[in-house]
Amino acid sequence: MIATLGSKAIQDVINAGRFGRFAWRSAAVSLRRCAHRQTYPLIWNQVNIIGVRSVPVIMITGAFVGMTLAVQAYDQLAGMGLEEHLGVLINISVVKELGPVLAAVMLAGRIGGALTAELGTMNVTEQIDAVRSMGTDPIAYLVVPRFLACLILTPVLIIYADLMGVVGGALVSFLQLGINSRAYWNFSASGVELWDVSIGVVKGFFFGGAIAIISCYKGFTCKEGAHGVGQACTEAFVASFISILALDFALAVVFKNVYLTFWPLKSLV
Amino acid sequence: MNESEDHKSLPQDADYSGPLIEVRNLTKKFGKKLVLDKISLSIEKGKTTVIIGPSGCGKTVLIKHFIVLQRPTSGQVYFKGRRIDDLSERELYGVRTHFGYLFQEGALFDSITIAENIMFPIRQHFKGVKWREAEELVKAKLAMVGLDGFQNYYPANLSGGQRKRAALARAVALNPEVLLYDEPTTGLDPIRSDIINELILKFERELGVTTIVVTHDMKSAYKVADRIIMLHNGRVIADGDADHIRNHPHPTVQQFINGQVSEDDLAVLRMSGTLATSQFLPRDFQ
Ligand SMILES: Nc1ncnc2c1ncn2[C@@H]1O[C@H](COP(=O)(O)OP(=O)(O)OP(=O)(O)O)[C@@H](O)[C@H]1O
Ligand SMILES: [Mg+2]
Repeated sequence: MIATLGSKAIQDVINAGRFGRFAWRSAAVSLRRCAHRQTYPLIWNQVNIIGVRSVPVIMITGAFVGMTLAVQAYDQLAGMGLEEHLGVLINISVVKELGPVLAAVMLAGRIGGALTAELGTMNVTEQIDAVRSMGTDPIAYLVVPRFLACLILTPVLIIYADLMGVVGGALVSFLQLGINSRAYWNFSASGVELWDVSIGVVKGFFFGGAIAIISCYKGFTCKEGAHGVGQACTEAFVASFISILALDFALAVVFKNVYLTFWPLKSLV
Repeated sequence: MNESEDHKSLPQDADYSGPLIEVRNLTKKFGKKLVLDKISLSIEKGKTTVIIGPSGCGKTVLIKHFIVLQRPTSGQVYFKGRRIDDLSERELYGVRTHFGYLFQEGALFDSITIAENIMFPIRQHFKGVKWREAEELVKAKLAMVGLDGFQNYYPANLSGGQRKRAALARAVALNPEVLLYDEPTTGLDPIRSDIINELILKFERELGVTTIVVTHDMKSAYKVADRIIMLHNGRVIADGDADHIRNHPHPTVQQFINGQVSEDDLAVLRMSGTLATSQFLPRDFQ
């Protein structure tokens, strides 16, 4: 009993170490590879596969987030006679928190699953070994383009989600809840700062990087057979999801401190 | 890039005369399972060595160690007198460009076309190569294995044998010094098999390639081998030229090369035969 527990704990530590090394190598090789022209077509290819086809689902996600927020928050604010402040509430929530996080979760399912399945299949059919056998670094050839594509794309896709969230929230507020559009936008403009939007977008870099590294790692360490690939996909999604939430929390703390350092008085006003 | 530096750090042919590849006391375990048991071998330059042995005896695992795709549990691997099993993965990339490796299942990249598959090693290692030249090269390599015209096919749309031949074309794309073939003729018709045998001989004769072939196909083994090594239970049980193997006294060797089932195996078959008829009569499934 204790022996199995101990060996499982040791295995976990070893795996964590492996993942750390994998993540570190991917980041280091990515940095080096940025200087190689050869990498750009590969990145471009991934951008098309990963990015372009994700746009519709991301926009739908964003729109529903905005619309739902409008419906839910209206009653509370209307009770206090503050319904014209609805814009601030919806737009801040969308650009700072819900847009980035839900878009990232969507991408973890859509991109992360595909990456793990693809690399996992390549692993079990020895294609990754084939890359190695030809004297090429599989991290440089397979991981780097996917990692960089996710890094570039997630913030962009988050902007799409934000945009649709704002539009969705506004449409429901005007058409269904009958809020004065001028007041709605005025309050929004004074309440939402560039800082809030930037936070959301910057989070995208972290989320995108985490999704790519976790999914690629799970693909590279996938076990034999169709069952192994399926299991790797599930594990990759769960791990990405948790790390998105954890990163979101950590970044919230960091950004808050940064904000207070630069604008100590603003929050008091 | 760093590949070229690694090339330089290897001893040049002129000042190295020992065995090209050498393994000493090579042992490989997967968990508790012992696959290779203290194997020591040296492979001479310019010769064709054939490795035979029953399925699952560790032939693939052995030749993967020659390019350190797998790391030994204990023992050493040398290439041109330099120890390579303890090199980092990055240092190995340079070493591996001296080798061509044909995977047992082909291991073609299935998301790109056949032409792109063969172009892959070329474009990785000759950065300045012109598109036109690379295409010519691909055409030549494919023609060699009888697949010219299949450039734009995806691996999934080829038959098993065609895939194997395309993989062979990719393995030789860089004109390597050493070629490792993992069952090159399995799954091919007899005529194709013979063409592959002729190709193996042609590479050896014309380019002075050192060849290592893993096979079950004794006809192919006799045709191409300068030396035949038989593995059994993770050990070398026979090692010599074709005549040596033909006349080898070891019963396991004789059974293998003549394709005979041993009495013990037959006994098992008879047993399970009676079991099958007594337990599962066809009417059970009706
Ligand atoms: N990655 C691995 N993990 C665990 N066991 C392995 C692994 N690779 C190979 N083995 C085991 O090592 C043994 C030898 O495998 P290997 O693939 O070398 O056989 P082989 O001689 O090439 O057989 P075949 O002629 O059928 O290809 C097998 O029993 C196999 O179960
Ligand atoms: Mg094999």
